[in-house]
Amino acid sequence: MRRRLGFGVWLAAGWIGLVLLAALLADFLPFARYDETLAGPPQSGPSAAHPFGTDGLGRDVLSRVVYGARVSLGVGLGAVLLGLGVGAPLGILAGYRRRATDAVIMAVNDVAQAFPALVFALAVVAFAGANLRNVLIVLGVLGVPSWVRLIRGATLSFAEREFVLAARVLGTRDRRILWREILPNVAVPAASYAFIGMAVVVVAEGSLAFLGLSVQAPTPTWGGLINEGRTLMETAPHVVLAPSVVMFLTVLSFNLVGDRLRALTDVREIGLEPVRAPAALPLPTPTHPVRDTLLQVEELRTHFVTPRGVVKAVDGVSFTLDRGRTLAIVGESGSGKSMLIRSVLGLLPGTSIRGGHVYLSGDDLTAYGPAEMRPVLGRRLGTVFQDPMTALNPVRTIGTQVMEPLRVHLRMSRRQARAEAVELLASVGIPDPVRMLRRYPHQLSGGMRQRVTIAMALSCRPDVLFADEPTTALDVTIQAQVLRLLHRLRAERDMAVVLVSHDLSVVAQWADEVIVMYAGKVVERGPAAEVFARPRMPYTESLLQAAPRLTDPVHHRLRVIPGRPPDLAHLPAGCAFHARCPYARERCELEPPPLSEDHHHPYACWYPRPGTTAEQDVRTTGADSRGR
Amino acid sequence: MIVLHRLARLLVVLVVVTFLSFVLLNLLPGDPVTQILGLSATEESRARLRQELGLDQPLLVRYLDWLGGLAGGDFGTSYITRMPVGAELAERLPVTLELLVAAQIVALGLAVPVGVAAARRAGRALDQALTALSFALLSTPVFVLGVLLILLFAVTWRVVPATGWTSLSVDLGWNLTSVVLPAVTLGCGQFAVYARLLRTDLIATLQEDYITLARARGLSPRRILWRHALRPSAITLITAVGLNLGALIGGTVIIETLFGLPGVGRLIVDSIFSRDYLTVQGGVVLISVGYVVVNFAVDLVYAAVDPRIRRA
Amino acid sequence: MAGSGTAHLRPDDEVLLRVEDLVVEFPAGRGRTVRAVSGVSFDLARGETLGIVGESGCGKSSAARALVQLPPPRSGSVRLDGLELTALRGEALRRTRRRLQMIFQDPISSLNPRRRVRDIVGEGPRVWQLPGDRVDEVLEAVGLDPATAAERRPHEFSGGQCQRISIARALILDPEVVICDEPVSALDVSVQAQILGLLEDLKDRYRLTLVFIAHDLAVVKNVSDRILVMYLGKVCELAPSADLISRPAHPYTRALIASIPGGGGLDLPPADTLISGEPPSPVDPPSGCRFRTRCPRAAPRCATEEPHIRQVGDDHWLACHFPVKE
Repeated sequence: MRRRLGFGVWLAAGWIGLVLLAALLADFLPFARYDETLAGPPQSGPSAAHPFGTDGLGRDVLSRVVYGARVSLGVGLGAVLLGLGVGAPLGILAGYRRRATDAVIMAVNDVAQAFPALVFALAVVAFAGANLRNVLIVLGVLGVPSWVRLIRGATLSFAEREFVLAARVLGTRDRRILWREILPNVAVPAASYAFIGMAVVVVAEGSLAFLGLSVQAPTPTWGGLINEGRTLMETAPHVVLAPSVVMFLTVLSFNLVGDRLRALTDVREIGLEPVRAPAALPLPTPTHPVRDTLLQVEELRTHFVTPRGVVKAVDGVSFTLDRGRTLAIVGESGSGKSMLIRSVLGLLPGTSIRGGHVYLSGDDLTAYGPAEMRPVLGRRLGTVFQDPMTALNPVRTIGTQVMEPLRVHLRMSRRQARAEAVELLASVGIPDPVRMLRRYPHQLSGGMRQRVTIAMALSCRPDVLFADEPTTALDVTIQAQVLRLLHRLRAERDMAVVLVSHDLSVVAQWADEVIVMYAGKVVERGPAAEVFARPRMPYTESLLQAAPRLTDPVHHRLRVIPGRPPDLAHLPAGCAFHARCPYARERCELEPPPLSEDHHHPYACWYPRPGTTAEQDVRTTGADSRGR
Repeated sequence: MIVLHRLARLLVVLVVVTFLSFVLLNLLPGDPVTQILGLSATEESRARLRQELGLDQPLLVRYLDWLGGLAGGDFGTSYITRMPVGAELAERLPVTLELLVAAQIVALGLAVPVGVAAARRAGRALDQALTALSFALLSTPVFVLGVLLILLFAVTWRVVPATGWTSLSVDLGWNLTSVVLPAVTLGCGQFAVYARLLRTDLIATLQEDYITLARARGLSPRRILWRHALRPSAITLITAVGLNLGALIGGTVIIETLFGLPGVGRLIVDSIFSRDYLTVQGGVVLISVGYVVVNFAVDLVYAAVDPRIRRA
Repeated sequence: MAGSGTAHLRPDDEVLLRVEDLVVEFPAGRGRTVRAVSGVSFDLARGETLGIVGESGCGKSSAARALVQLPPPRSGSVRLDGLELTALRGEALRRTRRRLQMIFQDPISSLNPRRRVRDIVGEGPRVWQLPGDRVDEVLEAVGLDPATAAERRPHEFSGGQCQRISIARALILDPEVVICDEPVSALDVSVQAQILGLLEDLKDRYRLTLVFIAHDLAVVKNVSDRILVMYLGKVCELAPSADLISRPAHPYTRALIASIPGGGGLDLPPADTLISGEPPSPVDPPSGCRFRTRCPRAAPRCATEEPHIRQVGDDHWLACHFPVKE
């Protein structure tokens, strides 16, 4: 939540303060009054007596700029307060009440926005008289529609949040909800816009003054000064440059502060701080015999260098996988299971460091550069993600998206690719695939979209399919369909599947082998049926007993794992699970347990469970009934 | 169906805008009769002129009268110059339109490559430099920028004329030299807005799952950027262009004054100073129509670019 | 399924909350209407937990919000201890709010990021001007340490802890009924077990009556005395939890159970023979029985005649023309 504002903002705020202070104290500053002619020789350049020089009448330019700030900032402040004062209540009302109130306010706002603001300001000021009050009122009123729109948008985004609903359920009155729940949240975007609004108004006032329609001479204004200076451009450019530069810096400062304030609340900007190159600390990459298997992962590590320290998202994971097999990776959020497959695929964000090896049919993928990796990703490895709603490009047709890998990697002609795409879509159980080609993702249900992403992943007949929580976002009846489809396709295409899931019952039913991850490490590995029937690592055991099952009696007490997973940037010494483990002893706090040597069913624990718990029932029947 | 609905709304907005501006302009202090005859005119001659111009009629009658004329394409006759307002506007419009189009070409021509380049290298030196540049441009009022550009290109280096206008029909080359500086001045600020917008939006788009999946399918960064990421991001840009174009029609006032261009903006300013109500009113209508029509067009383009809008 | 009817409701004096023919609809744009809930009835005895289960779009969350009148249902009756809530407006309705509290799915979004935990939990008593400060007591009851937690803001807590804060906020008003709308579906398995255990403890300690809404049948079974199965805005089946899981009679309930890996220990046929296709849109629901488009047992009658809820066993209710008999 708290983020650094940055040096530039303080500089900008300092400048704003300086200009403000100068404008306030102008009468006491040691320079000639703005209207004192022949304070120095006319059109003389900057000197000690006149830091900004003098103008055509020998008046001190610095003095004129400082007095001009009074008008600019005064109008800016007044107009912003006016806009805020009128626009904010209307915006909040529209956003909170919605329905008719909203419709009326926004309709009026629409009309207001169609008004040519600047022209209007000109006309009003020209006819009603060019003085401070009129300029302020006109610019303030013209700013109201933007304020309404902004505040309404911010209010809407919070009024739909559940905490507002919760407050209403508590019986809180509307007025209190507005004050306590909504206003504090709308305040930050409003403050941000106040600064940006200052910039806008200062420029607008300058424009009016430039056209001679703001506060009249002899009172100086920035726009007026620039307009006057224009005529001397060839002989005394400083007369026009001085107010221009001051005005530019002031507007820039307001914009900067406003922008940073906005960035504080804008989620989209998060993570875009300048990236410091990670301290290139190469991770150990020990050598291993390369085995005769489809996929071999050796000591894979993925670390992130963050301001909090090195986050060890994946920490020395090894496994092998053969054709026709399904390997499941299970663990809770933050266990590193998703990061593991992204690491295998080489799809990591720029701030990460990777160590270890990934061999695909004996080829070391970690030695490949991005260009070499592309054909591998396209043709030999397929990927399906969790959320089918975000996995497809919303503005491209299904056809274009399914055909793309075929055209790029297999160099098919458009006609060939189209025929192949139809076949692919049919093979994942999409009715009427020819029509489907012309449709867009938003026209499809979640289940259908996930079928499409599976079709895309399989288009170039990959050797390994990586499925990251492929059914978590789907309804249970659809989930069963999709899992069955994946299982069928695995057999038909003789590929290997890596299935990442948090759902143990899914894993038990569909996987051959399972890896249990905790805090970036493998804590147990083995044949799925055996791991679930006879877990050795206490974490696996508690995970199994924490998940409710249909066969449990009603009001059955689930096993509770106390505490929460450790911070990956500050892992405890010893076993990462020891603080939550009921069987932990002193040794667990001191020495991290290695993965045991047992190749069939290794586990990382000093005091493993006997492996004879009564977990056979559902889990094993699930595993046995696999493939139905 | 939806188009008809939108058109109806558009018409309503226009009627309301014209009515309000008509009333507002007439309620403001200042009297065209005084403007024409001077302060020393007799009450009798004032009344005669008033009757002649139709100013003795109630406000609503005058408005309806004017609106009726407008429906037939008649903007009325100026009280001051006694010239048809419509003809005057028609004469000035091409200048403003050329300026606007040229400015948008400058702005978009720069913003798309710059925004894309910055987004691709988000956080790196190039991005930071481009961000700083666009911020600086964003904070430079057009009249300041215009003055600076004139100072450099017209006064110091004398590459282009500082002011003046040569019509496109007279000489293409001279026309281009007279439009280039105003267009750059107007386009720079727009460029900054567009580039920042495109950058932010592209960065967000590049973090979407479907982009990661495109990478997972082994597509090249170039292909991902131009075929997958740019189109969703372009939607925001199109909206911004529409809104800006609408707002800019009024914003050319300053540029036209600064560079001495005989456009609509200049006409309006002159008419304001001479209390030429009907001409100002005509200008307001023209700008509002422009704004509303441009936004209507944007909605249509929007639907073409984003299939999600088409059905909704 | 598509069932309507009120045959399964118990006499008024036996129940605390009675919902009859609840209809929730909202506009979907272009003059169309989402028929989220179409004539659903159920009741709760004091101290009972009713589980409502169904897939996305079945109307379970819309029903929950209609119970607290946010927004009020299109039609139907919600009676709390004999008091008709749908007839109340304004201040009178507000006065009943204390008795009916709610816990939401998203633990992060249901807490105001700018307020401290003490203010969030203490909001209820302040609104109701209740004497004494029970914030510490309630925080302790939900397993948070008041000394460290009360002065912090929501973003400093994990999802599970935020859910505890939400529960504390609801409990501090001593409500009679708490409606839990998917309270654990955003949480990890281990945290889910913590929260489910906590709800059971609190239910005893504060004598609560719970409506527990979830899409996960196993979770619902774990906490509920009775389970109501919903599909596309209608009631399918209602039965005591154990009975519903061991003897599901409605084709949809059976499909739901069969879709869960492991199948609940029942020897059900594979899920793909029990259900096909995808749920239709609630904007344009099928005629007759709303489940018929996906039901393997559907007959012409199902398209023309909507099944009514009828009794098929001891407190086992069902809305289907052709239920599975065992």
